[in-house]
Amino acid sequence: MKTITKYLVQFAIAASFLTLLFRISLSYGVENQSNWIVVLSSVIYGLAMFVTGRYYGQKDEKHLPVLDIGFRFHLTTFLVHNVISYLWLLCGFASQYEKIIALNIVLLIWGSILIVHFVVFLFTRRKAIKDLDKEDLFD
Amino acid sequence: MKREKLLSELLSSWEETYKKGQLTLWIFLALREDKKYVNEIKEFVETQSKGIISCEEQSLYRALRKYEHIDVLTYELRKGNKGPERKYYYLTDLGQELFDLFVQRNIKLFYSEEIKELLNF
Repeated sequence: MKTITKYLVQFAIAASFLTLLFRISLSYGVENQSNWIVVLSSVIYGLAMFVTGRYYGQKDEKHLPVLDIGFRFHLTTFLVHNVISYLWLLCGFASQYEKIIALNIVLLIWGSILIVHFVVFLFTRRKAIKDLDKEDLFD
Repeated sequence: MKREKLLSELLSSWEETYKKGQLTLWIFLALREDKKYVNEIKEFVETQSKGIISCEEQSLYRALRKYEHIDVLTYELRKGNKGPERKYYYLTDLGQELFDLFVQRNIKLFYSEEIKELLNF
């Protein structure tokens, strides 16, 4: 698929690395019952993911201006975060206090937001020819 | 003097707007002639447009990637003189047809006797 660009793949790799670091620090914080570590690692993870997404998103837009209102990057973030999080827990690397219900809640809430994003994305695609904005195609 | 300055500014403004949509036509013209790699397309555009259309490499690459994505052009790899292989772009059947239709509907208008007369004043 042509819309899986090299920058999207690079973002997925960077996001995987950041998510892994986040899971390590989060589990460490939960295990040691340190709210500071939990909050700080979550905030740093959120910011780092935002900056990384923005960096690769802008590069991707310059490379090929796919009209997807950020959906590909959102979906990639969703998949990377949840796959790594579930694997982390199921492989037994998580803290004894971390429960799968927390991941299920994140999956449910985030998944709902992603569905809304997908619907908006489908509406936006009406303005596109082969994923590119028809108004900017021959600019 | 004031009038000349105004005329020059108006002309620049009109040309800026006019040129924005011109790059596609010039790229297609370049590839209509022969398969070309990026530098050859750039050279063709700048030479044949007598320098009116300036063609920055980044804009050209971006345009080529878009047209490749929508299947109006494609490329074949050929060895360059030195260094890596070059992408030689050419129009696909869809691209050829699109170009022909565009020219038919938008360029050939200027070949009608009435318009030619007006252009020659």
